[in-house]
Amino acid sequence: MDFSYQEKSAWGLLLGLVVVSLVYFPAAFAAADVGGEITKLVQLIVGGVIALVVIEVIYHVAIAAGSPQDADRSDERDELINLKAERNSGFVLGFGLFWLVGFIVAQSALQAYPVPEPLAIAVYILLIIAVSEIAKLANQIWYYRTGA
Amino acid sequence: MKKCRVRNNVRKLRFERNEMTQQQLAESIGMTRQTIVAIEKEKYSPSLEAAFRIARVLDKPLESVFSYDQD
Repeated sequence: MDFSYQEKSAWGLLLGLVVVSLVYFPAAFAAADVGGEITKLVQLIVGGVIALVVIEVIYHVAIAAGSPQDADRSDERDELINLKAERNSGFVLGFGLFWLVGFIVAQSALQAYPVPEPLAIAVYILLIIAVSEIAKLANQIWYYRTGA
Repeated sequence: MKKCRVRNNVRKLRFERNEMTQQQLAESIGMTRQTIVAIEKEKYSPSLEAAFRIARVLDKPLESVFSYDQD
């Protein structure tokens, strides 16, 4: 398979984000539960960001070293794929935020379950942002493989 | 796999032009080699400007390089 630098970058970002999210979000939701500890949440966020940056820097240096002439080059096809993927991830982000608003309103109206804690709502928002970013990267890879 | 309705003879004309490589063609028109691969496989339709640049490098009229499938 022939991957451009931009496609390799998308693969690395996708895998890194998925791995960090799988570690971060269960711990964050547990920390944001009733009586949530904001200190622990902040530690998790900082740790998650640092982990993601380190993973991505190492990965991108490695792929750039593999083909230095292609490193960070992008052309009209890369830009078109990026634009389409950004548009589609916007739909995911919008849908997720509307879902969250509806979820909170329904919980409050039905009173069958407690309304989520503010810290938990913040983690939900981060989750929606992460899912939309994962959708964008997956979409980019899809367009690279099947045609823009 | 999605096929474009814009067809081309880039691969054939590239070989006829002193067996130009995909990398050489890509560098001539400011694109990546993978984009040239996608164009030749008809998985990507280049912009009008890029199509003109390709035709100029191959020293052929635009209509000889690209055609539109009207089915």
